Amino acid sequence: MLRRLPYRIQIPVGLSLAVLVTTFLVTAVSAKFYANRTRQENLATLDRGVVLIVAQARPLLAADDIWRMFALLRDTAALIPGAVEGKGRLAVLNDEGIVFAASDPRVLETGMEFLGTVWHGQKIAWIDNSPDAQRWNRPDGAVMLLNPIFSEDGQLMGHVFMEIDGSVFAPDWLALSKTAFVSALLATALLLPIGWIIGVRMTQPVARLIAFIGRIGNEPPSKLRLEVPITRDPELGRVAQAIQQLTIELTEREKSEERALSAERLAAVGRITAAVAHEINNPLMGLLTATQTLRIHGDAQPVREQTLDLLDRGLHQIRTTVAALLPQARVEDRPLNPSDLEDVVTLIKAAVTQNNCELHSHIKVESALRVPSAPMRQVMLNLLSNAIKAAGPNGEVSALLEADAQTVFFKVTNSGPSLTAEKFSETLDSESGHDPRGFGLWVCRELANQYLGGFGLDLNTTAGTSLVFWMPNRESIESST
Amino acid sequence: MKRRICLQALALTGVEAMDSVHGASETSLRIGLTPVILADQVAFLSRWGSYLSERTAARVTFVARESYQPILDMLFSDQLDAAWICGYPFVKYESQLSLLCVPLYLGEPSYQAYLIRPKGAANGIGGWDDLRDKVLAYSDPLSNSGWLVAQAQLAKVGISPAELKRTFFAHGHRNVAQAVASRLANAGSIDGYVWETMRKQGMAAISQTEIVWKSEEFGFPPLVTRRGADQPALARVQQAMISMAGDKFGQELLRTLNLTGFTNGKSAMFDSIRAQAKMVSGSGVPA
Repeated sequence: MLRRLPYRIQIPVGLSLAVLVTTFLVTAVSAKFYANRTRQENLATLDRGVVLIVAQARPLLAADDIWRMFALLRDTAALIPGAVEGKGRLAVLNDEGIVFAASDPRVLETGMEFLGTVWHGQKIAWIDNSPDAQRWNRPDGAVMLLNPIFSEDGQLMGHVFMEIDGSVFAPDWLALSKTAFVSALLATALLLPIGWIIGVRMTQPVARLIAFIGRIGNEPPSKLRLEVPITRDPELGRVAQAIQQLTIELTEREKSEERALSAERLAAVGRITAAVAHEINNPLMGLLTATQTLRIHGDAQPVREQTLDLLDRGLHQIRTTVAALLPQARVEDRPLNPSDLEDVVTLIKAAVTQNNCELHSHIKVESALRVPSAPMRQVMLNLLSNAIKAAGPNGEVSALLEADAQTVFFKVTNSGPSLTAEKFSETLDSESGHDPRGFGLWVCRELANQYLGGFGLDLNTTAGTSLVFWMPNRESIESST
Repeated sequence: MKRRICLQALALTGVEAMDSVHGASETSLRIGLTPVILADQVAFLSRWGSYLSERTAARVTFVARESYQPILDMLFSDQLDAAWICGYPFVKYESQLSLLCVPLYLGEPSYQAYLIRPKGAANGIGGWDDLRDKVLAYSDPLSNSGWLVAQAQLAKVGISPAELKRTFFAHGHRNVAQAVASRLANAGSIDGYVWETMRKQGMAAISQTEIVWKSEEFGFPPLVTRRGADQPALARVQQAMISMAGDKFGQELLRTLNLTGFTNGKSAMFDSIRAQAKMVSGSGVPA
């Protein structure tokens, strides 16, 4: 529980607990010493009391004066520990061992036979003319003394009997506890604020370090690096050094991340540039072929018109592609027309001829086309370009533009090696950024996503590879707004 | 404790309750006090001495002892002019003594002797005939209520002193009460006037004792002089004593003494004691 508390509380509380434990231990040890010392003092007092009584009792025994003996014992008992509380008693026995008088006659009755009897479990034996006193230490801590009284000429006149209960010698735990409690209270009252101040002072460097650690992640490491708290404590100094090292490493990491980000930005710019180049390059070859056609057969009016239209649409496609890169630009795009497929086929013809393959196109449009022409033309151009490459020399490529009221499909099949689903996925992933050379399929997928359509591998095709692109047959959201 | 210390001081050193300077005269009268009264109140005795001095043109002082015999010895040896003794020593030494005056207790010159026991003690003492094998406390060998009555009553119930477990003299009626209260003795023979006065003063020993027997009426302990003493001042003292009930200051002193006044004494007042003493062998009063 204590460990869960902050140091500034732990230290004063710990000091107070230490004081309490120390007080308890000191009290316990003191009590033992006190009890032993008290016992010795009490026994010495008893001895002095016996001497006093023996001296005073002689004439009273001689005069047979019970009252004055009683008065003597009663007054002397006031000096004997515990007697006032009834825990100690004195008696003078006559020469027959009978109680002559006692300080507490209720317990030791006048005229009671005493010597030779058992008293509180102890046989009180006669002292046969011995001047020595007898002492019994009972198991319960009580002490009994028996001292003979001799006349000046050595005649046994009687005995002094003294008994002190064991509880008199026991430590007064209540009084000791009170003392200990007051001591602990004073010590705690003194040490608690001091401990608090010390604790706060001791934990101040730690608190500063903790506060500094709290700033890590929220503030720039380069700024934090210059503000690491300085402490003279060697242990905390090592912690501060570690934090300093951490801020240095974080600063380096920040710089590395900035460098990486910069490189990534450059790479992204490169990829965009490559993609744009790719998208422009595809119709460019067709446009160059068209200019060649125009140069050779431009005299013929129909050919010139047809070629110029082709050039116009091709350049519009490039314009649309470039404009799409500009977020601010709003491109006015027209809906797809079935003749767009023919345009694309014309534009791609140069590649067909170059690859020495065959290209067949089919149109099955059953409903009005409302999809934008630019992305569809781009998709068609990309898929055909990709298929021509995949078909290889002497291969065959077929394109189908199909539309109904809901969807516009464009399917391209090539006779090249079959493309598995895994390979298709890998190709898409590789084109997504790591291979700047191939963006055709990736651009198709991105356009499908953008226009809420789809792009995928037609798994029903057994020979060669068929790729299908589709989008809802409706005006795009962007164009509608 | 304070009273005991004062009593010891009075007894051992003979400290006298000095008269005040005011009213002092060349004639000096010394009056001895015994435990028939609670005579350890120095301030009271001083006031009483002053009171008597003012009214007798003599310097009156009191001398207290805790036993009767020393007072008698001092009286017979001319060290005292008068003494307040018990009725028993008066009848015993009547031929040598003259009555000065007799106190009135509850309006009568008489009192009773009590047999007391510890309060609530189940020691089976209900009367004198229960004292066999018991410890009995007397007051003084010259006390009527504190010894003579007990001897007569024990004889009456057929118990010889040897049949008692133990007897002792407590040197005063008050000590008898304390001896019984502390269970030093199983019973005590005590002056009824002293016991009642102690009860009135709220002394602890009385609350721890109870009366089991009361005697017939006896003549109250008298103030006596040596027979033939012819000091004129004594007559003035006698008159002052008897007049105490008549003035306010005297009444206040009497209230402290738990008395109602003093009267001229007559030997016949002590007939009951005399008769009792004659029955007790060793009483010193011839049968």
